[in-house]
Amino acid sequence: MTEISMTVNGKAVKADVPDNTLLVEYIREHLRLTGTHVGCDTSQCGACVVHVDGKAMKSCTMLAASADGADVTTIEGIADGGLHPMQTAFKENHGLQCGFCTPGMIMTATDMVKRYQADGKELTEDAIRHELEGNICRCTGYHNIVKAITDGASKMTNA
Amino acid sequence: MELKGEYRIAASKAKVWAALNDAETLEGCIPGCEELDKSSDTEMSAKVALKIGPVKARFKGNVTLENLDPPNAYSIVGEGQGGVAGFAKGGADVQLSEDGDETILSYQANAQVGGKIAQLGSRLIQSTAAKLADKFFANFRDALEPQEGDVKD
Amino acid sequence: MTEGIGARVLRKEDKRFLMGKGRYTDDIVEPNQAYAAFVRSPHAHAEVKGIDASAAEAMDGVVAVLNGEQLTGDGIGNIICGWGVTQKDGSGMNMGAWSALATSKVRYVGDAVAVVIADSIEQARNAAEAVEVDYKILPAVAQSMKALTNDAPEIHDNAPGNVVFDWEIGDLAPTDAALAGAAYITEMDITNNRLAPNPMEPRSAVATYNDAEEHYTLYTTSQNPHVARLVLSAFYQVAPEHKLRVIAPDVGGGFGSKIYIYPEEITCLWASMKTNRSVKWTSDRTEAFLTDAHGRDHVSTAKIGFDKDHKIVGLKVNTKANIGAYMSLFSSAVPTYLYATLLSGQYNIANIYCDVQAVYTNTVPVDAYRGAGRPEACFLVERIMETAAREMGVSPVELRRKNFVTSFPHQTPVIMAYDSGDFATNQDQALKAADYDGFEARRTEAASRGKLRGIGFSNYIEACGIAPSAAVGSLGAGVGLWESAEVRVNPVGTIEVLTGSHSHGQGHETTFTQIVAERFGLPTENIQIVHGDTDKVQFGMGTYGSRSGAVGMSAIFKALDKVEAKVKKIAAHVLEASEDDIVIEGGEVKVAGTDKLMGWHEVGLAAYTGHNLPEGMEPGLKETSFYDPTNFTFPAGCYICEVEVDPETGVTDIVQFVASDDFGTIINPMIVEGQVHGGIAQGIGQAMLENVVYDDDAQQLSASYMDYAMPRADDLPNYSVHHASTECPGNPLGMKGCGEAGAIGSPPAVINAITDAIGNNDLSMPATSAKVWAAIQAASAKQAAE
Repeated sequence: MTEISMTVNGKAVKADVPDNTLLVEYIREHLRLTGTHVGCDTSQCGACVVHVDGKAMKSCTMLAASADGADVTTIEGIADGGLHPMQTAFKENHGLQCGFCTPGMIMTATDMVKRYQADGKELTEDAIRHELEGNICRCTGYHNIVKAITDGASKMTNA
Repeated sequence: MELKGEYRIAASKAKVWAALNDAETLEGCIPGCEELDKSSDTEMSAKVALKIGPVKARFKGNVTLENLDPPNAYSIVGEGQGGVAGFAKGGADVQLSEDGDETILSYQANAQVGGKIAQLGSRLIQSTAAKLADKFFANFRDALEPQEGDVKD
Repeated sequence: MTEGIGARVLRKEDKRFLMGKGRYTDDIVEPNQAYAAFVRSPHAHAEVKGIDASAAEAMDGVVAVLNGEQLTGDGIGNIICGWGVTQKDGSGMNMGAWSALATSKVRYVGDAVAVVIADSIEQARNAAEAVEVDYKILPAVAQSMKALTNDAPEIHDNAPGNVVFDWEIGDLAPTDAALAGAAYITEMDITNNRLAPNPMEPRSAVATYNDAEEHYTLYTTSQNPHVARLVLSAFYQVAPEHKLRVIAPDVGGGFGSKIYIYPEEITCLWASMKTNRSVKWTSDRTEAFLTDAHGRDHVSTAKIGFDKDHKIVGLKVNTKANIGAYMSLFSSAVPTYLYATLLSGQYNIANIYCDVQAVYTNTVPVDAYRGAGRPEACFLVERIMETAAREMGVSPVELRRKNFVTSFPHQTPVIMAYDSGDFATNQDQALKAADYDGFEARRTEAASRGKLRGIGFSNYIEACGIAPSAAVGSLGAGVGLWESAEVRVNPVGTIEVLTGSHSHGQGHETTFTQIVAERFGLPTENIQIVHGDTDKVQFGMGTYGSRSGAVGMSAIFKALDKVEAKVKKIAAHVLEASEDDIVIEGGEVKVAGTDKLMGWHEVGLAAYTGHNLPEGMEPGLKETSFYDPTNFTFPAGCYICEVEVDPETGVTDIVQFVASDDFGTIINPMIVEGQVHGGIAQGIGQAMLENVVYDDDAQQLSASYMDYAMPRADDLPNYSVHHASTECPGNPLGMKGCGEAGAIGSPPAVINAITDAIGNNDLSMPATSAKVWAAIQAASAKQAAE
């Protein structure tokens, strides 16, 4: 067992977990934050993306113990009440259908926008499609997800 | 999946043949081999730990020697169960020929895997099997031609 | 009306998904919950000689290790196929037994032989590893053609030669005669590759037995919870229907794979009773590849004949359909009535004959996957039409146009009676959107950059709105395929609609609301759609076969008729007017031409107080309808794909994809376009990326996202989606359905485009870069030789 403490969605949490507990298991099973999903076992699908110290991370690829002391944000903590501009953009552009990949998409998208803005780079459609390599959606064919992220990026800039 | 290879060993054919039939030598040469017990001249049981791609497993199985033609050739056939990781089976036809003081060992091997190893690691099996075969025969050569700093892994 | 029929209303269900507050089956935790881990065969075909669970049973946290002997011993029935197909010789299917946990024999890699129930998932999985199964390994076969050879292993004793059934449709002799007299003949071998459906949410089940009430509750990832309850009860004898509640909460995609009632749900329910614990199982992704029903896997030969004017005279097809190791729920209907009945395509063909051999193999059972039979038919028809055009040296666009069905109703020689359509208009619209006239210039320009540019067409038709109960009953279906709805107007005037359809991404909570809003002029926030719970919804057949609009919404429409009639009666009584003069507009119930009116909520209240109702009227305002469609619906359209191929590498870019669809009435264009996008993506996936691969020993080699190429954002283009609708005469809303069109229409368009670009028609799906490169090499070698 390992004792871990971290901040999740602004709240300090502490637990004793088996050494091999993945961050996603800790988030889903211990904290009962079930918005973070598991869609594969090989770190391919991105349904489990959260932010760890401000960076997008596949939480199935990280041990809970490795996140000791970290500041973690999940889909439940991304907006201060209401919807984050990226969440609004996904709704307005019909960027989701079954909703299962959506939390991971939103977490990847917001990280993507922040990185491009920080680097002063233009987030083109090609760049968005390339950046989404690690997030699989089976419903939308990505067309509206790409539109949503473009729209979300401008909403985040103007927010 | 088929593999083949050839090794030149600085030892006599008789010596190489003896080693090929010696459980202790084989145990020392099979990569990841934890146990090899001989139950008869041609039958052995083995425990081998292997990692193929993302799948790591301990295989328990049997090894038999067939088509014996001392001291020229035999076939070594094995199968192992790795629990949920699946199973592996395969064999190699081994031939020895003399070249002066040295012996040329050639082999043609085939291997099949099943279960999780096949599902997750199939694209790595050819390269892994080639690597393991190479390691085995290199270990085997080194066992007959002792050198400093040998490592078995 | 901004929220009624035809409006792009944003989805009501989005907010909870966007906030991470969706409630999927794996999110549910019951008190006293244990976890199940299945012990699965690593062998494709083996006898089970014994199971030693002693080591597993002794492990920490293990509650029980259960096996197939115990399951069948408790009277749990074998898994059924719900559609009986009659063979050529009049006999029934050669169906082998399928137990939820295998007893004496395993028949595919992943076949479950035992289940471990433990306090934690970790403990369950560790213990499952410790269960020792003694297998006697048997030879195995994965391909249908190999399974039909003399030396193939026999998979089920009662299916000699591995033939499940040998079935035919159409007339052989006239078709042969027509082909013999044809001026032009095109023959082709056509393979439709095996796919894994891959909804992003893996299957999951949480089963709870309440011993005090002898009652079961099952949360599960289902597209049709009532069908699940019916089958679990009537056939698997898990529990009687009134003692079994099935809930399919938010479900993360289905695409057909969540129609079926799998061994895991059955086992979890039974294990919950055996252990008196709630039992949860959630599939991991590799387990999904091993157990979720696969799709497609047809090997066909086809022959089409034309007269000297290029009119089709006949089509003859033989298909070997790989059924997998067992017959899944609709596995017999997919390669027969959902496939061969669509072989007439959009064309006037007087003579069609098709026979189908369904074959057992040592692979995952094959069943409906988005399109289910219709993509296989469309791929065959549209590949051979394109190929014939090339062989005859005529325009593929003109060849199709010349053969279009143009008057309706149109009876094909393979059962279907097309009720409506305008194939030429859809083709025109697609050609215009794709700037077909400018294609040759684009091809020349691409050539100047060293790229091979090609264009491909696909004119699909499908049969949706599944289906008239009596018709499918006469063809062997074990169920009726109607749908039910209940509309509850509450005393305060808000409305709940309970539907037997199930939404797992389709946006029913929005579109279904729109038809209610349209009818009564009420705001959509006053309307709630309830689905997915057998305790709440009266009954339902669920969602598949693009049926939720044409069938599910028609049921709602009929129930709304009844509500409207009662509302008018009440208002007429209260307002002392004639019923015929009552109109409902903008949330008010008015006497036409006067200022007399009641608010919608006032009528609701009047219905429930019962203080002042017409003589003999029952209080309350709740109406139910069971709607049975009168015919299939026939969505159709024209898809055009334009590609650029790099001849050095075979890398293919889709530079343009145009769709023009006829879906009949469209309730919410935004949602319909989303359905088309997703369908096209899956079709492009089939055409260029996806393939389930088995080795010669029937080991599945593509059981994770490292090896099964799921389409990703940078593999796919934007889609140019258009509509040209004709109203469907068969249902009150005029709807045809849109859920499967994209997956049906797109694969032939892609392959026709690539083969056009590279000048080699010999290219199978998935057309990976390596295959395209090899086809280019083969074409140039052939050219050099000539």
